[in-house]
Amino acid sequence: MESLNLAHAHLLLNHLPTIGFGMGLAIYIAAYFAKNDHLKKAGLVIFFLVAVMAIPTYMTGSAAERVLCPELKCPADVSVPMIRKHEDAALIAFVLMEITGFFSWLALWQLRRTPKIPSINRVGVLLLSVISFGLMALAATEGGEIRHTEIREKLEAAATPGAAAGPEAAAPAPAPTPEGAAAPGAAPTTEPSAAPAAATAAPPAPAEEEHQGIARSIGSAVAGNTGIGWLWPAFETIHFVGLCMLFAVVLMVDLRILGMAKGLSFQSLYQLLPFGMLGFILNLATGMGFFLAAPGQYVHNVEFHRKIVFVVLAGINVLYFLLFDEAWKIGPNDDAPFRSKAVAAVTIFLWLGILYYGHMLPFLGNSF
Amino acid sequence: MMDFLHWVENTGFSTWVRTSSSIWAFPVVLLIHTIGMGLCVGVSAGIDLRILGFGPGIRLAPFEKYFPILWLGFWMNAVTGTILVMQDASSKLTNPDFYVKMIFIALAIINLRIIRVRVFRDPQIDRVPSSTNAKVLAALSLFFWLGAITAGRLLAYVGEASGLK
Repeated sequence: MESLNLAHAHLLLNHLPTIGFGMGLAIYIAAYFAKNDHLKKAGLVIFFLVAVMAIPTYMTGSAAERVLCPELKCPADVSVPMIRKHEDAALIAFVLMEITGFFSWLALWQLRRTPKIPSINRVGVLLLSVISFGLMALAATEGGEIRHTEIREKLEAAATPGAAAGPEAAAPAPAPTPEGAAAPGAAPTTEPSAAPAAATAAPPAPAEEEHQGIARSIGSAVAGNTGIGWLWPAFETIHFVGLCMLFAVVLMVDLRILGMAKGLSFQSLYQLLPFGMLGFILNLATGMGFFLAAPGQYVHNVEFHRKIVFVVLAGINVLYFLLFDEAWKIGPNDDAPFRSKAVAAVTIFLWLGILYYGHMLPFLGNSF
Repeated sequence: MMDFLHWVENTGFSTWVRTSSSIWAFPVVLLIHTIGMGLCVGVSAGIDLRILGFGPGIRLAPFEKYFPILWLGFWMNAVTGTILVMQDASSKLTNPDFYVKMIFIALAIINLRIIRVRVFRDPQIDRVPSSTNAKVLAALSLFFWLGAITAGRLLAYVGEASGLK
């Protein structure tokens, strides 16, 4: 058994979205009222980077569940509904955080072209970041309660005064597997549909899904368990389309910096960046679909870990083109400075690496 | 005909690609096919979008310099695609979806050559906004590539499915 497993990684990473976003929010709000553009930029960079780090944070959460509950059987002191609750809260917070990250990135992108961020996006980022922060704090609290039973018991005891037996009575209940908990609830819901002699294997399924929560329901839909068999292939196709969009921009911008099509200025090609980001969003959304559908394929897959590390590096890498002046100054027929060329080469390397690791998931790793 | 297809997929090379556990067999061939797609469709889509009016500040004429990357991607895929068909000839070549993909690619390439002549050889390039004709060609190009990618991806699912699911 290795000394550091992915559950530890989750424990390390899970403070980052809440604390990082809290810091970003403090800086951004201070800058907002002080009308300090440098500070505002710093807040936006933090929002974007935390959104990038939220990707591995979410994913190590699924890995942590598997460490806690090997073979999907949770020990008696771990509550399955509580894990599902945390997973759903984390997923919603994650989605909001990625949206905030995108608009923060867009604001940074706009700042290059105009001296001020358009007010709609300035206010938008503020609102989104406040909501994301609240949702993430909620998700973090629910996550903490999974293992820190002492907080849970105190809270429950406080809610129902004089009921010291409360937590003890509640503890054994979630211990059995989901079927046990879903069975009593299933009986009344199946009654109406069972009436027209359709009492086959189908009726119990909806009740169990209800118990599964949002993340698991999306996952099983993408996996094709709800009868929409074409969803997974459709997601894969969109994943490939997103790849092409992203590659279009990565190749055109970075090959220009490296010396191809020198007639184009960096400033003009810069207009393409949001299009590449759109490709990335498509791939993040469909990629999360795959991850939710079959987390077991990815959490123990070293190729996938490497892919996500590269995605994080590429996220940091894109900031170079937004924040540094040297690339911005590359005019038509100019030769790019060495550092820009080096970063451009690294960008192409990172995205080819992401493509490579993604492609090798089934061959070197354990995905199908 | 079927005999020939079975012969093709049972040649030493086809069998090696299909059954070898080496990473250099099926995985790398398919990897090059995916990278080639990124290069070819990526560059093509960038050009199409510029013609359609995205990034109006970017001069269109220098985009022609990217064509070698596009063709590099295309030939990478022509070669690896041929290998991928060879190692599974009897099911790929009897799958209608495969021919749908080929038609889309043929249309995309013909369309690309027309774009090269009509748009990039136009002396008015960058002096006036793209003509409606050019925009139609660019939109068609995006549509053909989208069709090719979709049909290609579905090869793993439609008909006598084999290969990477």
